[in-house]
Amino acid sequence: MVDRENEGTATRDHASNISRRRLLSILGMGGSALGLATVPLARRGFAQPSKATVRYWASGTMTIEKFWAQLERDEGIKVVFSDNGNDPGPVVSRMVFGNANDLYDVGGLQGGAEKELALRNAIAPWDLSKIPNWNDVWSWAKEIPYTQVNGKQYGIPAVVNADSMIYLPQKVGKVDSYHTVFDPKLKGKTAMEDAWINSAIFTAIYLKENNLLKIKDPGNLEKDELQGVMEFLIKKKKDGQFRTFWNGWEQGVQLVTSQEVWVMTGWEPIVYAARRAGVQADYAVPKEGYEGWSNDLLLHRGAVDRKLSEAAHRMANWILGGYYGAALSKLRGYVVPTDHSAMAAAKSGGEFDAKVQADLNQHVKNKFFSKKGATHWQNVRPTHFQLYEEWWQKLRNA
Amino acid sequence: MTGHRRSVLLASPVVAVLLALSVAPLALVLVWSFWQWDPAIYWMRPAFVLDAYQSVVGTDRLIVIVRTARIALITAALALLLGYPVALFMDRFATARERTILMLLFLVPFFTSYIIRTFAWRLVLGRTGLINSFLVRAGLREEPLEWLLFSDFAVHVGLLASYLPFMIFPLLLAFGRIDRSLIEASEDLGGTFGQTLRHVILPLTAPGMFAGSLFVFVMALGSSVEVQFLGGAAASMIAIMIQDVIRVLNFPLAFAISTSVVLFLILLLIVGSRFLGLARLFASVAR
Repeated sequence: MVDRENEGTATRDHASNISRRRLLSILGMGGSALGLATVPLARRGFAQPSKATVRYWASGTMTIEKFWAQLERDEGIKVVFSDNGNDPGPVVSRMVFGNANDLYDVGGLQGGAEKELALRNAIAPWDLSKIPNWNDVWSWAKEIPYTQVNGKQYGIPAVVNADSMIYLPQKVGKVDSYHTVFDPKLKGKTAMEDAWINSAIFTAIYLKENNLLKIKDPGNLEKDELQGVMEFLIKKKKDGQFRTFWNGWEQGVQLVTSQEVWVMTGWEPIVYAARRAGVQADYAVPKEGYEGWSNDLLLHRGAVDRKLSEAAHRMANWILGGYYGAALSKLRGYVVPTDHSAMAAAKSGGEFDAKVQADLNQHVKNKFFSKKGATHWQNVRPTHFQLYEEWWQKLRNA
Repeated sequence: MTGHRRSVLLASPVVAVLLALSVAPLALVLVWSFWQWDPAIYWMRPAFVLDAYQSVVGTDRLIVIVRTARIALITAALALLLGYPVALFMDRFATARERTILMLLFLVPFFTSYIIRTFAWRLVLGRTGLINSFLVRAGLREEPLEWLLFSDFAVHVGLLASYLPFMIFPLLLAFGRIDRSLIEASEDLGGTFGQTLRHVILPLTAPGMFAGSLFVFVMALGSSVEVQFLGGAAASMIAIMIQDVIRVLNFPLAFAISTSVVLFLILLLIVGSRFLGLARLFASVAR
């Protein structure tokens, strides 16, 4: 995924994650108080919840702010939320070698770092028997490959979505393939994100699905696959295909609204921002499939050591229980991969808009089934991530 | 207690703070740059190896360092070319009021975020930006100029806009140190303005030129926003490369890049001090 918004400084890859999230909150999916009816599913299996404080360290947009009070009412769990900046590098570093495991109990990060964190014993697997609401998570979200390590569930997808391309239909017509981004006829009019984490997978999806390169998993490229993908990108860059590689929310929006770029890979909210600015932009449904992403709940090893595992599991169960999803959708437009949020919205007595919630859920589901589920999942930590970085330097210098 | 001892005692707290905040971190960076990156544990191990430096020299990373130095050097040279006449005018010809207004004009852009400042150039230099809109509407161009934005030209515009004042202020300091009687003597002896400029003013302001150039060069060397916002597709600078490397936790390599740059700058300072009398610029301040 990614969004990034905060600022242009926050750099490439994940810095940009912040942007989209902030945008979504501005998008105004809402944001005020409410006191919702309790969602029965959230409490299923826990008769007498004990009080606890869970320190939740996650991407800034995963907080539901004042709505956390409902968790305290339902489960007796007080959440102390901290923004982790959403950049996997520093987060992993602090988890493994820094003090993050001392300071925080549950993490939330873009999918893919689980293997690295599990290998370093920084996180513990979730006991799914203690998370009854897991049973109702959308089946394809349960199967996100990078959330599991050695058959154990280390990441619980708290949010899912999928990205493709923003384009200007008046300039390029209807876009239904990543080919448009690489089309020589649009030389100098296209862009990608200045982050290998996204641009490498988009290119790999294009090459794989059009049988231009043999690729097993676009989200986790082998060395020779990576070479093929990056050499393709480097050639395109040398040919002057890309106007720029964008970085951060403001840049992404400005490129589209100024019509500096006619088609680029990126986040759907940019389309809405462009339309509000009076520019007709659309979001592509690519025949090759989307880049799926998830923001996953992680159980910190430190929480287990501090005997907070039980509380963390109750919190995870509550997050999948409906209320959190309804509140998060209202605040940010994000979707928790379960129908419970729609149920919670329907039972909320008007606090949450049931139709908006249902439409939002369906919108995300449609993306994943636009091509019979051929979504390729973003992976923030592919096996050869060091090599990705080296290739990205080659691209920069090309 | 002798005057010298008293001076040493008085300076010692500052020296201690400098050692703690500057020298110690740099020493750590130097030591860690020789440690070994271990992919098995996603971290570095204590060692004394040159792996990181080999990566700096033997890969595309050296190109980034050279390219960054070239951009910084050109920016410093352009800043000197633009800044020297401005400083000369402000010192020699402007009234006190004009000087104040000019200084304010140079400072006003700094009242806003450098990110906003840099981003604004996109609105000026883009395809539909102010310049291209004017050119097309005036009939001077049929198509907008593509190279105005996302190019080295745009990067230099952004860097100059950001750092030009850092050239002008040291120059003003240098101009202020010139003994007016020397200029008057040159004029009394029949020297033209050009001759006075060449034989008196320029040599006496050389430390200011070097100091200003050094300020601009160093800041341009460490910049990233201008390149990210205004540069070509995925263009790089040293700061961007270090960010990239840190993002994948290859700290020895990041430290090796940093150490190489610091050593280069120290060398530059030594050269400037020895051959261009950099110390002279600050002598008056010390007095």
